Amino acid sequence: MNEFCLEISSANKSFPGVKALDQATFQLRKASIHALLGENGAGKSTLIKIITGVHKQDSGKLIINGKEETLNNPNDATKFGISVVHQERNLIRRFSVGENLMLNNMPKTALGLIDYNEIAIQSKKWLKILDLDIDPNTLVSDLTVAKMQLCEIAKALSLKAKILLLDEPTSSLSPQESKILFSLLKKIVREEGVSIVFVSHKLEEVFNICDDVTVLRDGQNACTSEDIKNLDRQKLVRLMIGRDEQIVKSTRKNQNTKDTILALKNVKTELGHKNINLELNRSEIIGLYGLVGAGRTELMKCLIGQDKITDGEVIINGKKVTINSPKSALEKFKIGYISEDRKKEGLILIHNVLDNTSITVWSQIKKAIGFVSDGMISKKVDPYISQLEVKTPSNYQLISNLSGGNQQKISVAKWLAAGTDILIIDEPTVGIDIKTKAYLHELIIKLADDGTSIILISSDMPEMISLADKIIVMNNFQMNGIVENNHDYDSVSSKIMEYIHT
Amino acid sequence: MAALFKKDWFGLLIVVIVSGLAIAVLKPAFLSPFNLYVLMVSISYMLIIALAQMIIIAIGQMNLSVGAIGGLVAISFSGLMEVQQVSVPVAVLIGLIIGMLCGFLNGYITVRSGISAFIITLATLYIFKGINLGITEAEPFYNIPETVKNFGNAKIGNTPIPFLIIIPIIITFLMWIFMNRTETGRHMLAYGNSVQSAELIGISSSKVVITAHVISGFLAAIAGMLVVCRLQLGTPNIGDSWLLPSFAAPVIGGAILAGGKVDVIATSLGVLIVAIISQALVIFKIDPFFVQIFLGVMILLAVFVNRYREYKQEARRKIFSSE
Amino acid sequence: MNKKIPNFIYTNQFGLLCLVLIFTLIFSTSTDGFTSRFNIFALSRVIAIDIMIGLAMMVVILTGGLNLALGAIGVCAAMFGGWCMEVLGIPIIPSILLMLGMGSFLGWINGIITVKTGVHSFVVTLATMSIYFGFMTMLTEAEAFRRLPELFTDFGSAKLFNKYVSPLLLVSVATCFALFYLFRFTDIGRKLIAAGANPEAAELSGISVNRMFIYCHMLSGFLGALAAILLTTRIGAAIPSMAGQLGMDWLLPAFLAPVIGGTLLSGGKLSVFGTMLGAVLVTLLTNGLYLLDVGEFWIRFFLGIILLLAVLLDRTREYFTLKSVIVS
Repeated sequence: MNEFCLEISSANKSFPGVKALDQATFQLRKASIHALLGENGAGKSTLIKIITGVHKQDSGKLIINGKEETLNNPNDATKFGISVVHQERNLIRRFSVGENLMLNNMPKTALGLIDYNEIAIQSKKWLKILDLDIDPNTLVSDLTVAKMQLCEIAKALSLKAKILLLDEPTSSLSPQESKILFSLLKKIVREEGVSIVFVSHKLEEVFNICDDVTVLRDGQNACTSEDIKNLDRQKLVRLMIGRDEQIVKSTRKNQNTKDTILALKNVKTELGHKNINLELNRSEIIGLYGLVGAGRTELMKCLIGQDKITDGEVIINGKKVTINSPKSALEKFKIGYISEDRKKEGLILIHNVLDNTSITVWSQIKKAIGFVSDGMISKKVDPYISQLEVKTPSNYQLISNLSGGNQQKISVAKWLAAGTDILIIDEPTVGIDIKTKAYLHELIIKLADDGTSIILISSDMPEMISLADKIIVMNNFQMNGIVENNHDYDSVSSKIMEYIHT
Repeated sequence: MAALFKKDWFGLLIVVIVSGLAIAVLKPAFLSPFNLYVLMVSISYMLIIALAQMIIIAIGQMNLSVGAIGGLVAISFSGLMEVQQVSVPVAVLIGLIIGMLCGFLNGYITVRSGISAFIITLATLYIFKGINLGITEAEPFYNIPETVKNFGNAKIGNTPIPFLIIIPIIITFLMWIFMNRTETGRHMLAYGNSVQSAELIGISSSKVVITAHVISGFLAAIAGMLVVCRLQLGTPNIGDSWLLPSFAAPVIGGAILAGGKVDVIATSLGVLIVAIISQALVIFKIDPFFVQIFLGVMILLAVFVNRYREYKQEARRKIFSSE
Repeated sequence: MNKKIPNFIYTNQFGLLCLVLIFTLIFSTSTDGFTSRFNIFALSRVIAIDIMIGLAMMVVILTGGLNLALGAIGVCAAMFGGWCMEVLGIPIIPSILLMLGMGSFLGWINGIITVKTGVHSFVVTLATMSIYFGFMTMLTEAEAFRRLPELFTDFGSAKLFNKYVSPLLLVSVATCFALFYLFRFTDIGRKLIAAGANPEAAELSGISVNRMFIYCHMLSGFLGALAAILLTTRIGAAIPSMAGQLGMDWLLPAFLAPVIGGTLLSGGKLSVFGTMLGAVLVTLLTNGLYLLDVGEFWIRFFLGIILLLAVLLDRTREYFTLKSVIVS
C-alpha cells in the first residue's frame, strides 16, 4: 500500500516560548526528490532534526518504510538508512577520500590489517557512481568544498543510505558545480532508488530537480507533498510567505535626512568582498538582502573590526577612519552589532540578565578605580529591560532560562543601553514568536525615528520590505544593486529577485 | 624520493641527521661507543613514554598520569620479585596488568563522567603515586634478580647497542602498524579529528577512549619496567620527571593537542632529536639545567612551526577552492 | 530583585562551609592536638599559602585555560626576591614589589604566547614551566638564599590572636576580599569573567578578549609570586626546591581548591570564597589525616580521591541544574 519510505504525520514540537511545529505532515515518496521549503524559522530545521533523530517530536508519528519508529539519536537514523549530507562536516579531513568512504567497513588482509589497495578499489566504485574523478588516495583536506560535498554523498551511499537530506547544498557552490551536483542527484535517484529531501532557498533549483514540494509556514503545512507540476514560481512564493503576511506600512517620521553618517567607498575585505559602496544617513534603515553565504554578516563583521578591511575607505561623520576592533567600534564610533547567532555570539548563557544587558556599558558607567556596582548597573539598564518588556522573574535570572524571544530582547537591550549611533541588526527575528517579532519591528522603526541609523540584515523578505528604506542586494560577497523600497511587496520583491540573479 | 620529501616527518629527519653530524664533527667523542650506548639507553625508554602519551593525544586528550603509572608498575615489579619472590615472567605479566588496569580506570572514568581527561588523570596521578608511596614508604627495592640486571646491562654482541633497545623498536613498529593499518587505530584518529563525525559514522566513543587509555597504561608499564632494568633497582620516584618529555616528543613530531594528528615516525624522530641534543649538551659540558630550558624552547618552537604550517595549508586550500 | 543574595543555603559555598565545620568537629573530637594552639597556628600558615595558590590557578581557569607554570613562576619570584634581598641588599618592600613584578611578567609571557599562537595554555605553560624553572636553577646554581632580612622571616613566624593565627592568613584573606571586589565591583573584573564565559560574544560586545586573557595570566603570575612570598617568609629562606621538581608540587592544591570551590573548568564562572573554602577544606583534611596516623605516604592517595570525588559531584550537580533548566 505504501509508496512512502518516510512519513511524518501531525507532528508537534515546542521549544520554550515557540511552537516550532504545529501538526506538520511530510511524506517522502520512494525514489523521488522532495523539496522542503519555508522561510527562516518556519520549522524546516526542526523537521529535519526530527527525521535525523536529533530531536524527538512531542506528538505525532514518524513512519519509516510503513512502520512507526522512534529515533533516539542520530545513530538510530543512520541505521534506518537516513543520512544528512553536510558540506564538509562528516568527513575526517586528515584521512584520504577512500578511507573516509570505507571507514565503517574497512577491507582487511588475511592478517587482519587494513588493505589500502582494496580500499582504493572499493571506494572507486562509489566514486564512479557519482562520476567523480578523484584519486581515492587524495586527502580530503585537499579537496574543494564542492568535491567534499560529493564525497559526502558517496559516503552516504556507501553506508547504504536510502534517504538523503541535503540542506542548502548549493550555498557555497558555483553554478557549474551546482549543475554537476544536480545531474548526480537525479542519477542516484534513478539508478540507486534513493529518496532525497532537498532544502533550498533558491526556487529555480527546486523547479529544476524536485518532484514534490512541502512548504512549511510558522510550523504548519502551507502545502503537503504537492506535485511540482501543479505549482509555478508565483504560487510557491505565495505559499512560503503567505498572502496574509502583513507588510507593515511604515510610519516613519523623519527618514529623509540627508545627513550621511557612514559611507563605505570601494571597500575590499580579507574575506573576499569587492567594490562595496554604501551610504547610510541618520535615521535611515538600510537593508542587506541576499541568500545564505552572500557575505552580508561577514561584511558587517569587517566593518566593526572583527575581520580586516584591506582596501577602500570607511567614512564616519565625514571623516576617514580605521576601525580595528569591536571595542573601538563601540567606544570610538558608537557602532553596535546584534548578532544573528544569539546563543554563540550574542549572549553569555551562563550569566544573568543584568550582566548580559550591561556588558556594553561597564566602561561607560564606572567610577574611580573602575568601581561598578549592581545598583549602578540596574539604574542604567533597568529602563531598557522594562521598556522592552522582557519577561524575567528577576534581573538575576540566568539567560539560558529565558525564552528565545526574551533572549533576543536582551541582546537588543544591551545595545540600546550602550547608546549607539549606528546599529547593525543581523536576522533579528529568526526563531522568534510572532508577537515578539511584531514588537521588534516596531522597535526598530522607533529607534530609527529617534535618530539611530540602522543596517538590517534579514533573509525574511516581508520583514525587509516592511522595515528598510532602501535595500541593498548582495550575492557572492558583492553588491548586486540597490532597491528603493516603496513598501509594495510585489514590485519590490521581484526587483530584489532580479538583482540576486544578475 | 619525492614521496619521502612530502612526508611531514621529512624535516625532522633532516634535523636529526644534521644535528647528529654537526655534533659528531665538533666533538668526535659523540660517536664514542660509550656515548652511543648511553644515548640509545635513554632513547629506549623515552620512546615508549612518548608513545604512551602520543596515543592519548591521538584521541584529543592528555594523560598526566603516564609517569605515575610507570612508577607504580616499576615498584610493583621490583617489589614482587624482591618481597614476594615472584618469578620474573610472572612479575612482568602482573606489571603489565597493573598498567593496563590503571589505564582502564583513566579511560572508564573519563568516558563515564564526561569530565576532561586532564582533571581525571591529574587525580589518578596522585592516587597512583599515593599507592606507590604508601607501599614503598619512599624506600627503593634494591634486590633485583640477576637476570633482570643482566638484561638491563647487556649489549648486542660487541656493538655498543644495548639489548634493551630491542623492546622499544618492536613496540614502535607495532604501534605504527596499529595506528596506520588497523581499524581500531584509524578509528582513534578519526575520533581525535572530530568526535562528532566519528559518532555519526557509528564509532563507539567509549571503546575508542578506553582502548587508547589501556594501551597508554600498557606502554607506561613497559617503560617503568625498562627503567628498573636500567637502574638495577626499583625506586619510588621513577616516572616523576616523565611529564615534560612525554609531551615534548609528540609535539615536536607535529602532533596537535586537539587530536587526530599524530604520527609514530614523527614522534620517534622527536624522541631522537630530544635525546641527541640533550646528550650533546652533556658532551659540551653545558649546564645540565639547560636541558630543561631547551626542552621547553623546543616545545614552543614546535608549536609555532605547527601553527605556521597549518596557516600555510589553509592559505593553499583557499587558493585552490577559489579557482 | 530581592533574590540578589540567592538562597545562600543552596550554594556550593554553604555546602563547603558545612563540610569544613563537620570535619573540624570530627577531627577535634577524634584526634589529639587538632585544636592545640600549635596545630591551629601551623594550619593557618599552610591554609594561607594554599588559598593563594588556589586563587592563582582560579584566575586562569576563568579563561578556560590552566597554568602549569604556576609553581615555576612562584619559585622564580621567590629566588629573585632572595637574590634582591640577600645579594643586592635591596630593602624588603621594594624587593617584594620586584618579586610581584617578576611573577606578573612571567605570567604576561604565558598570556602573550597563548593569545598569539591560539594554542591551548596547557602546552604553552608546560613549555614555559620548564624554561622558567631551568633558568632559575641555572642562574642560582640550585643554591638557596638563606640569609634573608630578619624582619622578612619574622613575619612568617609571627603569631596573632593569642598566638593562634599566622599573619600570613590575614594576607590571604585580604587578597580574597580584594579579588572579590575586583570580580564583583569593577568593570575590568566583570570583563574578565565575560571574556572567559563566551569569548565570541564578549569580543562582539566591545571587550578586548585577548587583553583580558593576558590580564588573567598576569594576575595568576602575580598571585603565584604572592604565594611564593608567603612561603618564603614561612620557611625563612628561598629554596629552589620549595615547590618540588619544576614547581609541580603546587599543581594539586592549585586545582583542588578552585575545582572544589565551584569554579567552572570551561571558564566564565568563578567563586573566590569557594576557592578559599576549598583550600581550607583540603588543608584541614590533610592535617586531620596526618593526625589520624593514616601515614604521610597515603595522604596523596586521599587527596587524589578527593579531587576525583569533587569533580564527579560537581558533574552530578551540573547535570541536575541543567535538567531543572530544561524542565523549567
